[in-house]
Amino acid sequence: MTMKPSRNAEQTVAHAVETGGAFEAARHDELTEIESVLDISKFSLWYGDNRALYDIAMGIPRGKVTALIGPSGCGKSTLLRSVNRLNDLVASVRTSGEMLLNTRSIYDPGVDVISLRKRVGMVFQKSNPFPMSIFENVVYPLRIAGERKKSVLKETCERALQAAAIWDEVKDRLNDSALGLSGGQQQRLCIARAVAVEPEVLLMDEPCSALDPIATARIEELIHDISSRYTVLIVTHNMQQASRVSDYTAFMYLGRLVEYGTTKQIFQNPHLTETEQYVTGRFG
Amino acid sequence: MSHSKTHPAGFQPTPLRARGTAGTWLTGMALIVCVVMILSLLGLIVVSGSRTFWQKPLEKVTLESGESFLGMRFRTEQNPEMGQRTLYRVGNRDLGQQPFRWVDVNDITQQSNPDAAVLVERYEWGIWLGVPSKLIEIDAKGERVVVAEGAQDVLDQLPAYLEEARQRHEQADEIRSEAIAKLNHKLEKLRLAQLNARLRADLDERDGHLGYGLWFVVVIVLLGSAGGAYFVQGTVFKRVLVLVACLSAVGAFVERPWADQPISQELLAEIEAESEEQRLVLTSKFIELTDRVAEIEAEDARYRVEIIDPLTGKFAALSQSQTNEPMKVSQIIRVVQPNEIGFLGKVRIYLSRWWEFLSDDPREANTEGGVFPVIIGTLLVTLLLTVAVVPLGVMAALYMREYAKQGIMISILRVAINNLAGVPSIVYGVFGLGFFCYGIGGVIDGGPDPSIVLRAGQWWILLLIASAMAFVAMSMSSGGPRNKRGLWGGLAWGGVALLAVIAVFTTPYFDGFFQAKLLDGSPTFGTSGLLWASLTLALLTLPVVIVSAEEAIAAVPASLREGSYGCGASKWQTIQRVVLPGAMPGILTGAILAMARGAGEVAPLMIVGAVKLAPQLPFEPRFPFIFADRSFMHLGFHIYDLGFKSPDSEAARGYVWTTTLLLVTLVVMMNLTAIRIRTKLKARFQSGQF
Repeated sequence: MTMKPSRNAEQTVAHAVETGGAFEAARHDELTEIESVLDISKFSLWYGDNRALYDIAMGIPRGKVTALIGPSGCGKSTLLRSVNRLNDLVASVRTSGEMLLNTRSIYDPGVDVISLRKRVGMVFQKSNPFPMSIFENVVYPLRIAGERKKSVLKETCERALQAAAIWDEVKDRLNDSALGLSGGQQQRLCIARAVAVEPEVLLMDEPCSALDPIATARIEELIHDISSRYTVLIVTHNMQQASRVSDYTAFMYLGRLVEYGTTKQIFQNPHLTETEQYVTGRFG
Repeated sequence: MSHSKTHPAGFQPTPLRARGTAGTWLTGMALIVCVVMILSLLGLIVVSGSRTFWQKPLEKVTLESGESFLGMRFRTEQNPEMGQRTLYRVGNRDLGQQPFRWVDVNDITQQSNPDAAVLVERYEWGIWLGVPSKLIEIDAKGERVVVAEGAQDVLDQLPAYLEEARQRHEQADEIRSEAIAKLNHKLEKLRLAQLNARLRADLDERDGHLGYGLWFVVVIVLLGSAGGAYFVQGTVFKRVLVLVACLSAVGAFVERPWADQPISQELLAEIEAESEEQRLVLTSKFIELTDRVAEIEAEDARYRVEIIDPLTGKFAALSQSQTNEPMKVSQIIRVVQPNEIGFLGKVRIYLSRWWEFLSDDPREANTEGGVFPVIIGTLLVTLLLTVAVVPLGVMAALYMREYAKQGIMISILRVAINNLAGVPSIVYGVFGLGFFCYGIGGVIDGGPDPSIVLRAGQWWILLLIASAMAFVAMSMSSGGPRNKRGLWGGLAWGGVALLAVIAVFTTPYFDGFFQAKLLDGSPTFGTSGLLWASLTLALLTLPVVIVSAEEAIAAVPASLREGSYGCGASKWQTIQRVVLPGAMPGILTGAILAMARGAGEVAPLMIVGAVKLAPQLPFEPRFPFIFADRSFMHLGFHIYDLGFKSPDSEAARGYVWTTTLLLVTLVVMMNLTAIRIRTKLKARFQSGQF
C-alpha cells in the first residue's frame, strides 16, 4: 500500500530530518478510523532559540495506550509535558500550533492551566510521592481542589488505589508515610494519585525506568488494565515495553514525528527503514 | 633490573606524596586544634562557673602585727615585687574596710579554722564574717531579753528565728509585689485616663485628634489592590461590589464615627470628679496595705542578733547610722558555718545558692542575689526575635526562590543579604534606636512629627495616588506565568509601599496612642524597650534566616514540585503543601542559628533596651502578658555589666563566670529544643529509602 523506502542516502527520512529538509511523516491508514481524545496539529515548541518540536500532528485514540518512542532528545518527553502544559514552568518556552483535548483547545489564552492539569493526570519517571501519608498522597488532587468531605475522600482513595492495584498492599496502613513504600509501590501510588480525579488522559513519562523487572512487570500489567478506562500516553525507551503495553506507537526523531501507526504494524511491518532500524536496535 | 628485583611483578610503590598521609595528619590536627579550643573554653566556663557557689573554709588569720581577722582564701599569686601573697575575702564592708584583702604569705604567723566562725549572707551590705555572741528579743515594753548567749547557743536557736523572719519577709513581699503593684497600676491608669480626658476637652473641632488615620492607610491600600485583582479576574458583579466597598470605606472614614471626639467641659468635670473619688478609694486601700507592711517590719525589728567581727570586736550593725544597734534577724538571708557543716552540708548550701541565683532578683549592684529577671528578659527577647524573624525571612526567601526571576537583580540582592550578615552589630543597634525607637516608636506614642504632617487635602490626594497605584500593581502582577509586566508590577508595588510609609508618617489624622503619657514626660514606645530590641535583633539575624531558608527551599526536589503541579495544584498550593513542609527542617536550622546569635548579642542591646536593673519584669500574669514597651535585663549585657561596670570587681568575678555558664546553658537548651523538633520533622518528611 505504500512505496518501499528508497535506499538512496540522499532521500532517506533520517537525512531529511537531520538537514532540516521537508518530509512527510508516515501515517498508517488504520489511524484514519480512530476517535481521538487528544488532537495535536502543527504543534511546535521552542526552548528559547532552540526548537524542540517541529509541527507535530497526531491524534491520540480514546481508551487506548499510545506509546511515544525515539532516541534520547527526540522530544517525546517535551511533547508529553506539553499536553498538561508542564512546560509552562520553564520561563523561556514558546509554542505554536494547536492541541485539542476533547475538542477544547489547551493553548487558548483563556485556558486555566490548573483546571487543565486536573483533566490530564501525569506519572513521572522517578516516583515522587509527597512526604505525607499514603491517604493524603492519593487525595492530594482532591484536597487542592478544595474537597473536604471525609466520605468522598475515603471513597476516592479506595477507588484510586484499587485502580492502581495497590489497595490490598496498603489498605491497613493508609496513615503511614508514603515514603516507607518500596519503589514499585511508590510508582503505583503515584498512578493512583494521577487517576484519583478521573483524568481524561493519563500521561506517563518512562514510568518504569527506575524500577526492577518485577515491579516493571506489575506496572505494565496495571497500564494494560487501566487502559480500558483511561486514555494513556506513555513515553518509553524500552521497545519490548512499548510493544507489550501499547495499542499505537509513534516514533519520533529530532523533534519530528516520523512514523505513527498501530503497535503491531510499527514493530512488525514499519513503512520506513529508520523505524525498522530503531525498533530492532540498529538506529538511534 | 634492580627495580624489578625490589618490586616484584613490576609494581611501583605509590609515592608518599600521592598517598596523602601528610594530608590526613594535617586535617586531623586542624580538627584537634578546633576541638581543644572549644573544649577548653567550655571547660573553663563550666569549671569556673560552677565553682562560684561552693563554700570555702573560713580561716582565722593572725598576722605578725598581732592583727587577726576572718577570711576566705580566694587565690594565691606570685608577685614579682611583693613575693607570694594571698587574696582573702573578708567582707564586713559596713565597717568601712575593703571586702577583699591581700596578705603577704610571710606575714602570716597563725592560721586556724574556728568552728564557731560564721558567714552571714545579708540582703544589704554583702557578707559578714564573725562569731555569733547573742540572740536578743525586744519585748512589747522595749526591754531587751537575751534569748541565747555564746556561739553554739545562738547557732542552735537562730534557724527557728530565721525561718519566722523568712515567712514574714514573704508575706511583706507578697503584699508589696501583688497588692501594692496592682494598686499602683490602677492609680496610674486612672491618672492617664484623667489626662486623656483633659486632652480631649482641650480639643476644638479640628480635624480628628486621636483618630485612626494609621489604619486607614492599610485599609485603602488593601482595598485598592483587591479591586485591581478583581478587575483582572472577577465578574462584573464582583467589580461593582468592590467599588461599593471602597466607596463606603472612604465614606465611613471621612465620618469617623469611632474616633475620639472632643468632650465638653461639663463632661470633663464629671469625669474628673469620678476619678477623684476612685483615687481616694484606691489611696485608702494603698495606705491600709502600707500599714500592714509596716506592722510586719515592726515585728521584724524585735529580733536581733550580735555577730562579732574578731578584728574590731564590733557586731554587724542595724544600719550605717545605728552602729550600736545589732542587726535584725530579718536582714539575714543565710547563716553558714563553713568549718562545721561537712561535705553534705556544703552541697546543701551550694544547691540553695544556685536556687537563689536562678529564682531571685539581683542585689548589691547585681553582684549578689539572683538573675531571675535577667533570664526572663533573655528568654523573652529571644522568643520575640524568633517570632519576628522566621516568618519574615522565610517569606523573603520564598519570593527569591519561587517567584522572582533568577537574574542579575536577584543575584545582587543575594550578595547584599549575605553581606548584611557582616555589618557590625553595633550598627544595627544605632539603626534600631534611630529607626524603631525614635522613628516608629515616636509616631506610635505621639503621632507624626508636626513639621512634616500634610494638610488634610494633600494627604487624601497622596492616599488616592497610593490606592490607584495598588490597583495598577495588582492588575499588573495578576495573570499567568507568561506575564511580561513583572518588572513594572514590582516597581508599582515598591511605589505603593513607599507611598504607604509616607502616608503613615504624614497623616494629620493620627496623634499617637500614648499621647497623654508622652505629655507627662514618659515615652512608651518612643524609647528603647523589649519590642525594639527584639526587632533590632531580628534585623540582625535576618540574613542568617533568609540564607538558610533559601537553601532549604532550593533543596526540595523538583520532582515533588512537578508532581504537585501535575495534580493541578497552583504555585501557592505547591509551596504551602509540598515546598514548605519539605523545607521546614532547614528553616528550623536557620531559626536555631538566629536564636543562638540573638541570645548571645550584647552590643545592639546596650543601645535599644537592655538595662543594668529593670524596675519591672517585661512579663506579668495579666493581659497582655508581655509588656513589649518595658526595658529588660539580658544575660549577655549582664555579663558585660558585672565584668566591667561593677563597683566590686572581685566580688563580681565569680558571678561573671556563673552568668556565662547560665547563658551558654540557656542557648544550648533552646537549641536542643529546636533540634528535637527538627529531628521529628525530618523523620516525617524524609524518606528512609534511596
